[in-house]
Amino acid sequence: MDNSKQNEGCTDTSTLVSDDGKNAKSVLCQRCGSKVLCPGMAQFSEKELFLPSMRKKSTISQSEGSLDGDTLTAHWLVDDMFNFENVGFTKDVGKVKYLICADCEIGPIGWHCLDDKTSFYVALERVNHA
Amino acid sequence: MDSRYDIQRRAGGGGFRGVSASGSPALGAQSRRRKIPPRPADFKLQIIIIGSRGVGKTSLMERFTDDTFCEACKSTVGVDFKIKTVELRGKKIRLQIWDTAGQERFNSITSAYYRGAKGIVLVYDITKQETFDDLPKWMKMIDKYASEDAELLLVGNKLDCEADRVITRTQAERFASRISGMRFCEASAKDNFNVDEIFLKLVDDILSKMPLEVPNKELSNSILSLQPEPEIPPELPPPRMRCC
Repeated sequence: MDNSKQNEGCTDTSTLVSDDGKNAKSVLCQRCGSKVLCPGMAQFSEKELFLPSMRKKSTISQSEGSLDGDTLTAHWLVDDMFNFENVGFTKDVGKVKYLICADCEIGPIGWHCLDDKTSFYVALERVNHA
Repeated sequence: MDSRYDIQRRAGGGGFRGVSASGSPALGAQSRRRKIPPRPADFKLQIIIIGSRGVGKTSLMERFTDDTFCEACKSTVGVDFKIKTVELRGKKIRLQIWDTAGQERFNSITSAYYRGAKGIVLVYDITKQETFDDLPKWMKMIDKYASEDAELLLVGNKLDCEADRVITRTQAERFASRISGMRFCEASAKDNFNVDEIFLKLVDDILSKMPLEVPNKELSNSILSLQPEPEIPPELPPPRMRCC
């Protein structure tokens, strides 16, 4: 599989989003390459979400007031958790579960609110596309 | 709500009828423009991994598809469950794997974990007597809460620590033989010995029990809600333990 990294840094969505608004390429973990989504399984969606920074599990903490992280806008929206190839869910942080790589557990790569059972967001900036 | 169930039916609808996703009418006109339409999963199975603290439940789950065992990953921090995809018998199967690490006290794992499980992996540590002694208590939980037709697999983990072994293979075989339908194997998550086989065997056993045409309704119902259902007193299934 081509491990292109053209999506790192700025998010150029033109090559990633197909005509019907879905992911044209596979979505992969940036660290271990584990396949998160097959092509065509998610809808491109713009929604402002705050994700704690990657690579430090300790930053996901309910008690801390200010978290290290990014507000991200470009996401892949998945409507059924069983549409993922491989993904992990953290325990609840308030009403949110963060999505992580199922294999190396890096994350958060995405966001899910328990109030909306049909919305799972994966941040384009936190995954690779190939 | 309606659209959600449509999606679930579509995802499960492939069934055994062959999964040429391009032929699925539910995908509609949009998908015809795609070169490779997404292939839905054929089955969705819930698997739980239980066992006493420190037996290596999380390591087993990670080793399943990951090739980099992490010595430092000693305990589970914050991972609730995982979705993993395997292919077996030409079928694409989505596993929802619940690792119960961190909730090892028997009564703290809610019945919701057990109720929907099609496969239960019960793990002990071959180097720790107490983890083997705990097995009857885990079996009581399974008898009480799990579906009667859930596949059971007893796993003696840490085979890489053979020098420290205190539980013989024969002891565990004897234990497993007293429980109807329970398989037994030993494994090493560290050496990746038998780990893939564990899950694939379990999935294979589950599939072989399934009817050729799985009703869509059943698949829809098998989808777990993230929020546990309200606790209801479980109906007690007949115990699995045979009379000695």
